[in-house]
Amino acid sequence: MEIVNKISYFVLPCVVILVAIIILVGKRDYFSCFLRGAKGGLKSAFGLIPSMCALIIGVNMLFASGATEIITGFFAPLLEKIGVPSDILPLILTRPLSFGASLASFTDIVDRCGVDSLSALCASVIMSSTDTVFYVACVYFSSSEIKKTRYFLPVALFVSLLSVFLSCMVTRLFF
Amino acid sequence: MLGKCFSILCIISFIFAIFCGNMDEVSKSVLQGCEKSVSVCFSLVGVMVLWNGIMEVLKESGIIKIVSRVLTPVLRLIFPRSFKGGAATEEITACISASMLGVSNAVTPLAINAISKMERGTKKGYATNDMIMLCMLGCACFNIIPTTIIALREAKGAEITYQIIVPVWICSLACMVVGVILCRILGKIYGDS
Repeated sequence: MEIVNKISYFVLPCVVILVAIIILVGKRDYFSCFLRGAKGGLKSAFGLIPSMCALIIGVNMLFASGATEIITGFFAPLLEKIGVPSDILPLILTRPLSFGASLASFTDIVDRCGVDSLSALCASVIMSSTDTVFYVACVYFSSSEIKKTRYFLPVALFVSLLSVFLSCMVTRLFF
Repeated sequence: MLGKCFSILCIISFIFAIFCGNMDEVSKSVLQGCEKSVSVCFSLVGVMVLWNGIMEVLKESGIIKIVSRVLTPVLRLIFPRSFKGGAATEEITACISASMLGVSNAVTPLAINAISKMERGTKKGYATNDMIMLCMLGCACFNIIPTTIIALREAKGAEITYQIIVPVWICSLACMVVGVILCRILGKIYGDS
């Protein structure tokens, strides 16, 4: 585990150093490329606020109304049996739908259970290993007006469920 | 999609709030939600700025092209038809390299581009095996650095931040492999166009 942690700390600095070297030795002005890209990132980060506002309110209301307690109470025994913490149920349900909604459930899990709790760690791994199935299907296919998506949705949903079990298993193994 | 998500969440909460008598909590949670959305987005601003900047430099300096050359033998197995005909190969590799680096807002335009190129000469409105494979990889792709989540964890004051990288590698790689294998099997069974 010690070595694994060391590797983890190397990944991001390596990428940054690579870019730094490119900027230093590159013939073109790569720093202005960096700034141009960064500006795009700034725009999309602020562009997230309106949709996040709506969705976080929705998720917050759901928790405050007591609905999630009743729903998770119903599914908890089943989830715990297969090693999935029942706190992450809202994330499992929203993950395939939209990035904003799953991010909202993720922050809620973190606030509720503590950021270093097992549930929050499982949620972190789930968030990082699969993307939003329905969103991807909508955006990618509808741009070319493709209506017959054939076996895509069943496979993608299966993989996204698999990622939930796998993430919880691996997280338990590591922490 | 987002609108429906929001409406369903609100309607369910309202109904439950009436039956559980939690309306006071719900009304408080609305305003708390507004504040929370801004703080969550603010903790993401820095990472998205850095990451999009890095991606732009990698793209302009041709590093992405080198990556795609390295990935070509693997991609040939995953997208047999596109790589045989040489259609959309560069778009596919650029798309997958971006999603491996976790720059999701760069992935979407690249993927749309790749699909519209793949579409040439196929039946209209019909997803070919290669298109489904690309979408599959858009949903479950090997994630080298999960920066968004690490940044959020750090913003929340977590002690475990970078240590999630290796579990993420294992999970995302496994999901990608399973997804690709399933797509190939089903593609073989159902045939193409």
